[in-house]
Amino acid sequence: MLETDRIQLHKLVEEALPELDMMIGWTESCDPLQTTPVFIRDAKLISKLTLGPFCSQNLAGYLVKPPALESVPKDAKPIGICVKGCDSRSLVALIQEKFISRDRVRIFGIPCRGTIDWRKVAQRVGLSDVKSATVEDDFLVIDASGTTHRIGLEDVLARKCLGCRYPNPIIQDVLVGQVATPRSSSLETTYRDVDALDNKPIEERLAFWQSELDRCIRCYACRNACPLCVCQDKCIAETREPRWLTQRVGLPEKFLFHFIHAMHLAGRCTGCGECERVCPMDIPVTLIKEKLNKIMEEMLGYSAGLDPDGVPPLLTFNPGETEI
Amino acid sequence: MAVKIFIATDRLDSVLEKLSTKIDLWIPALLKDDKSGPTGFVPYEPGKAVAFDRQTTMSLKKVLLPQVETLLRFEYRKEPEGAINSTLAVEDRREARPTLVFGARPCDVRALTTLDRVFSNGPYVDPYYTERRKNTLFATLVCRQTDAKCFCSSVGGGPADMEGSHLRIVRTDDGYIVEALTKEAQSLLDNLGDAPDASREKQAAEIVEEVSRRRVGDLDTEGSAEAFRKRFEQTDYWVQMVSQCLSCGVCTYVCPTCYCFSITDEAENLKGERLRSWDSCMFYHYTLEASGHNPRPTKLERYRNRVGHKFSYIPERYEGLLGCCGCGRCIRSCPVSIDIRQVVGHLKENTNE
Amino acid sequence: MTDSSPRSSAPADQTAANTQGIKIVGFLCNWCSYGGADTAGVCRFKQPTDLRIVRIPCTGRMDPLFVAKSLIYGMDGVLVSGCHPRDCHYAVGNFYARRRMEALKLFLPFMGIDTRRFRYTWVSASEGQQWQKVVTEFSEEIHRLGPNPGVGPRSGENSKISNGLR
Repeated sequence: MLETDRIQLHKLVEEALPELDMMIGWTESCDPLQTTPVFIRDAKLISKLTLGPFCSQNLAGYLVKPPALESVPKDAKPIGICVKGCDSRSLVALIQEKFISRDRVRIFGIPCRGTIDWRKVAQRVGLSDVKSATVEDDFLVIDASGTTHRIGLEDVLARKCLGCRYPNPIIQDVLVGQVATPRSSSLETTYRDVDALDNKPIEERLAFWQSELDRCIRCYACRNACPLCVCQDKCIAETREPRWLTQRVGLPEKFLFHFIHAMHLAGRCTGCGECERVCPMDIPVTLIKEKLNKIMEEMLGYSAGLDPDGVPPLLTFNPGETEI
Repeated sequence: MAVKIFIATDRLDSVLEKLSTKIDLWIPALLKDDKSGPTGFVPYEPGKAVAFDRQTTMSLKKVLLPQVETLLRFEYRKEPEGAINSTLAVEDRREARPTLVFGARPCDVRALTTLDRVFSNGPYVDPYYTERRKNTLFATLVCRQTDAKCFCSSVGGGPADMEGSHLRIVRTDDGYIVEALTKEAQSLLDNLGDAPDASREKQAAEIVEEVSRRRVGDLDTEGSAEAFRKRFEQTDYWVQMVSQCLSCGVCTYVCPTCYCFSITDEAENLKGERLRSWDSCMFYHYTLEASGHNPRPTKLERYRNRVGHKFSYIPERYEGLLGCCGCGRCIRSCPVSIDIRQVVGHLKENTNE
Repeated sequence: MTDSSPRSSAPADQTAANTQGIKIVGFLCNWCSYGGADTAGVCRFKQPTDLRIVRIPCTGRMDPLFVAKSLIYGMDGVLVSGCHPRDCHYAVGNFYARRRMEALKLFLPFMGIDTRRFRYTWVSASEGQQWQKVVTEFSEEIHRLGPNPGVGPRSGENSKISNGLR
């Protein structure tokens, strides 16, 4: 089924490419468990495009991060982009905040059955050399150090995928493949990890974040991978004026950095999980944002990235609300 | 004087504990309660498990070049008469204690030759680094767990390369054989264990020989320096190679040879500290000038600089020494799977195109 | 604002003796609460002395990170006070603030920070008595809670925590 989807994608991109400035998609990388983003202008490279559970990166950020692809002249052709369900929500949020205009992007929507977390694979097959990895039905087949492993896909999906409510793109111009079924329809399932931590006493929560955030090396991968962290080079975590943080490596600095990231995404985070995926120190960064997303849903009934005409709730107000 | 000892696997912890009474001891350990989670070098504590099964996520450079260190402290003291006048007191205290890093990898230790050239071999000598360097010994593991991202042999090293090491550790079926390679390291092994028996010694010798023959990685760096210069202005090449870069600092922070640092003064009221901390050429602020101009405004120039620094500028300045030790960490940890071997490998292809 | 000599975790029940150094920071709207505090002062209402006031132009200026940073770096309490809803000098500033402060209030405990150390409230310039009540109650609450244990040692290089798992 993946193969037919891939062929369909190639065909659609081939037809569309003459009208496009470029096509952003995924291609295979040196790591069999992860793809790498690819930017295609040359029709010869279309065959390199791939899709499937290894395509974990959210490509929406490339449209707005320097050198921003969107900044080309206004009469330029649109940019083609592959988006999964969660990626499309980031795109919607960027359209909402007017970082991208809808007619500048040609969206190739890809229904998603979940992406693979290489760390979970490593937990099962060890960190031995993975030579190849393929998906057969509901299984991941891995050839590592001469042994073939067959692992249920469910067991190695990224944490964010397990509570996914929007596997299908929110907006698209074309849909590639069959519509997927959401894994979750309730807040309880989507936010079960948040609730699990919330149910612990406050001392344990503090201890949890102390031990997790202590590993933070402030490489800013979480921030740079976040499609909605649009300040980028002007981020207050790095500027000397205003100076919010020092270069010290104590816990207060690490806490404050993650507070900055989280508070700036409150009501804007679409839960794509990129911050957590890219963390070299395996810190559950997305969990912090999930809590704020849950607060936004419960307090204001708002989920980011679902309505291109919506306004993030902390950028607006309602005089009538008295319950808060 | 013990020159070679055998440590049975189950006795490792007690030996390390003994060792830690003689010298400050650092070991590779899990940083998270997950056996496949991130690892790094940490000061030894009794009971802390050694993570010997794979290369650490973070390199050992922080032993010699901490992520942040205080270079000096200062304090303004107001004169009792006339509060307008004040004197500045500066305190600059350095202390380097004898330290042993137990379980380093050949690539990591080799990486220090690059740092030495910059910090210790002049014309400017950095006293902070140099003093720690002089006081630090390395017990290096003959590396048998290379993976597809390792390429130490391509950059002049090798999985059994003992350059810069003071002790050699060979992991055998039932334990470790630790051998002193320098005089200063010999006394460390006193009273820690017995000499290995003949069969174990034979096994260790075979392992060393077998590992020494291995060639890890097939990157050809010959002529990269010139090829890089030709590529320097070919924006297309860099667009094609690194458009997916996120401009985060992962590659530089995990890299054992990246040594760039920043110096900042942090003061509160009348007291303050001058801090030196890791910096990354992947960051916008790294080259931002006071005027507001930034000579490397985008990730393309920044990534190009990283490649150029390691494979062109350092070799040209330091007689062919590469600024890369082939540990593969930047490849393993890159969030978008950029492979520096590809970027360097393609430098030479059709340069005239 | 960020003086925070590392404090050891203190027991919940505090006696007056070890709450001497309690520090509370108050972010007050220039147009209402700052005036309210002034009114309280002019009327000679007795007030606790732990509060250090930062005057802000409007609670709409109030970045939730001001609160977060204060608590992370060891402030014992943070009080934000502005105009009553619908009374904002700039018409809508406090409507924005209300959402942001409430979101932060719900979020802090998730990160292990005691949310009782943060309070936001509305006091107008004429409500000197109300200001006295608010600030006295909050100060008493903070004294009950004792010194803020913070999130950890300031520079982690030598700490046990920063060298790996605890």
